[in-house]
Amino acid sequence: MKTTFLLSSIALTAFSLSPAMASDYPTRPIEIIVPAPAGGGTDNMARMLNQYLQDELGQPAAVINVAGGGGAIGVNQLARARADGYTLLSTWNSPITTVPHMQRVQYSYETLTPIISTSQSAYTMCVLPDFPADNAEEFIAELTANPGKYTYGNDGVGGTMRLAAERIFGALEINARPIPFGGAGETLQNFLGGHVDIYGGSIPPVLPYVEDGTAKCLLVTSAQDNEALPDASGLEALGYPELETVLWRMLLAPEGMDASRVDIVADAVTRAVENPGYQEFLAAQGETLNLVRGEDLRERMHVEFEAIGETLENLGLKRF
Amino acid sequence: MFESLFHALPVALSTESVISMLIGTLAGILIGALPGLNPVMAIALMLPLTYGLDPLIALGLVAGIYNGSMYGGAIPAILLKIPGTPSAIATTFDGYPMTQNGQGGLALKTACWSSAIGGVFSALALMTLAPLLAKVTLAFGPAEYFWVATFGLISIAVLVGKDVSKGMLCALLGVLIGLVGVDSLTGEERYTFGSLYLTGGFELLIVLIGLYAIPPIIEMAENKSSSHFNAESFKVNASVTGVSLVRQHWKTWTRSSLIGISVGILPGAGGNLAGLLSYNEAKRRSPEPDSFGTGNPVGIAAAESGNSADNASSMIPSLTLGIPGNLIAALVLGALMIHGLQPGPQLFTRAPDVVFGFMWQMLLTSLVLLLLGGMVATRLFAQVLRLPAALLVPTTLVLMAIGVYTVNGRVTDLYVMLAFGLLGYVLNRLDYPLAPVVLGILLGPMAEQNLRLSMLISQNDWTILFTRPISQGIILLLLFVLFSKLWKGGWSRLIAYLKIKNQ
Repeated sequence: MKTTFLLSSIALTAFSLSPAMASDYPTRPIEIIVPAPAGGGTDNMARMLNQYLQDELGQPAAVINVAGGGGAIGVNQLARARADGYTLLSTWNSPITTVPHMQRVQYSYETLTPIISTSQSAYTMCVLPDFPADNAEEFIAELTANPGKYTYGNDGVGGTMRLAAERIFGALEINARPIPFGGAGETLQNFLGGHVDIYGGSIPPVLPYVEDGTAKCLLVTSAQDNEALPDASGLEALGYPELETVLWRMLLAPEGMDASRVDIVADAVTRAVENPGYQEFLAAQGETLNLVRGEDLRERMHVEFEAIGETLENLGLKRF
Repeated sequence: MFESLFHALPVALSTESVISMLIGTLAGILIGALPGLNPVMAIALMLPLTYGLDPLIALGLVAGIYNGSMYGGAIPAILLKIPGTPSAIATTFDGYPMTQNGQGGLALKTACWSSAIGGVFSALALMTLAPLLAKVTLAFGPAEYFWVATFGLISIAVLVGKDVSKGMLCALLGVLIGLVGVDSLTGEERYTFGSLYLTGGFELLIVLIGLYAIPPIIEMAENKSSSHFNAESFKVNASVTGVSLVRQHWKTWTRSSLIGISVGILPGAGGNLAGLLSYNEAKRRSPEPDSFGTGNPVGIAAAESGNSADNASSMIPSLTLGIPGNLIAALVLGALMIHGLQPGPQLFTRAPDVVFGFMWQMLLTSLVLLLLGGMVATRLFAQVLRLPAALLVPTTLVLMAIGVYTVNGRVTDLYVMLAFGLLGYVLNRLDYPLAPVVLGILLGPMAEQNLRLSMLISQNDWTILFTRPISQGIILLLLFVLFSKLWKGGWSRLIAYLKIKNQ
């Protein structure tokens, strides 16, 4: 029984590796692991893309939420799966480029198969109207002049927003006090209630308050400026494009997935994101497309992995 | 504002909206009634199916599932002593004894009416006071949250159960369980022993199902011969009508609804805290507090109206501020954004029909409960008790295991559930109350994090905890609850002492 199973699985693997079969991929439903709970931002983005992706692939794709460990548990599960293209990972960057510095994990960006990155969004820093600054230069000058005076709410230790802020503050020798909240919602609540001085978090939650004048957003953590926040400067305008840290999303597979299958999935994603329904959804979430494939994607992971490792080292948070 | 409110009523009463509310409520009752399935999961899985439809169809389903599950959770709480949702913990206290006393039908009916009334009160608060109450939400900073958590934890530890020291011990055990995982302020691992699983901490839902659902199953297996089912006990006396229930419980309902609404506007707290605080208050107020826990319908009325009153009011911070009060509110915000509606202050003027329509749906689905609730509970779920234990025990266990497994898709969760089940069984046998354990897991970390956040903000100036007016108010309330219990205890002990002395 066991031998038969072993033999047949070897046969299947060998069969699936032959190039002739590659064009037949996919022939059965695909599982997409999302390393976050159902209903969160990552899950919503993955499910939305999935709707269009399964049309392009011609096979149903089921989203499986494997939450926990800051995403590490889901990625571990993916890393152990077969690289036959029927188990993929739809993740944001933190489990790949941040978590391995802080926890012991059983995967590495060096071994996972990169498929394609999809969308990304920047973080912003905002203040209440009475704050003595109206643009990014004045904001930085005020923070530099008053070390340790201002508090900024962020998404927690090892959260991407905190790292984005600390990379900038570290380079500009700014000392602001981080207050780690559970996420952008909590940060917004404490910012609007006046419990912290600076909002640090994603753009969509704070947008309504920029429109009605309750909040002034002065900085975004991407290199580029953001259309939705005309008063905020990107890092390129300030002369530090290399300090960019954004939240971005990608599809990965276990080590050793067949290159032709990787291309089939990457091509399908490239077509799926053209769908107007998906584009509208992205715009509503304040995200923009940035499709990077194959080894370029691995390089993108590598650069960010190193930069975040250095920032965590400086903060005394790097463990592994 | 009231103009927009009434303009939205016909929208909420459109055929599609009504159908979605009915389906949602029915599904909600079923999901709530099956331990292991939970409304958050159900809504998260269902929302993607409605992306292409009108937003009010999706929101009608959400409103129905949310309100329906709050009552649904009471059904197994009453029939089997297993809370179907975390919010139904307090409902087990008097619900199950009533079933044992042959008053299961009355218990279910009381729960149904109480849920509906709590839901209606809460929806009315959402409709009329939302912008005002949202200001209260913002006034609560970390220092205030520290006191809210401390108040909840101490008052429940002291008031639930008979023995104060046992209650306190259980609360501390809960705090200890809650500490496991990554410390959110420093990223340091606590009590993880190098295990990847433990870095995520224990998930409340899994611990809760283990603690609360496994022990009754073991007990059922122990007395396999006896059955509580008695067709007579589910026939409610004709003299018990809605009117008679209103006459009996209106004071409890009003008080509990106010408690539920207050808990709801604070993001982070939840229906289980609302239910337990309401239960405590009803017990404290009652002329015969000792009858609580032995099958007093007032206990059900308080718990169920309290936890349902948390629902609509938890939408206040989400709809007015864009700050999700709990996971379901976060899903609603996600659904609105998918339809291109940005949550926040402008939502009321940009999409009044959607926002006010949803508020109506929250109100109407509470009323639908009266229509569907009794029928589903007594015609369908009460029949479950007819099953012999040899069928009921394994079936329930399998259903729960499936439910727990679907949360994260991790087999380890099942072992954790079983381990907590054994812990719960031991605690039950030794007569230690379980509710403080659950609240400890929930509120312990909340108190700790907010204490440390306030220290970070104030740069270690501890006076921040005492100088702000809301904090002072909560401290007074805490002292009041604490001393009224101690005073009562001290008084009765003094009388007992004098009696002995006189003899």
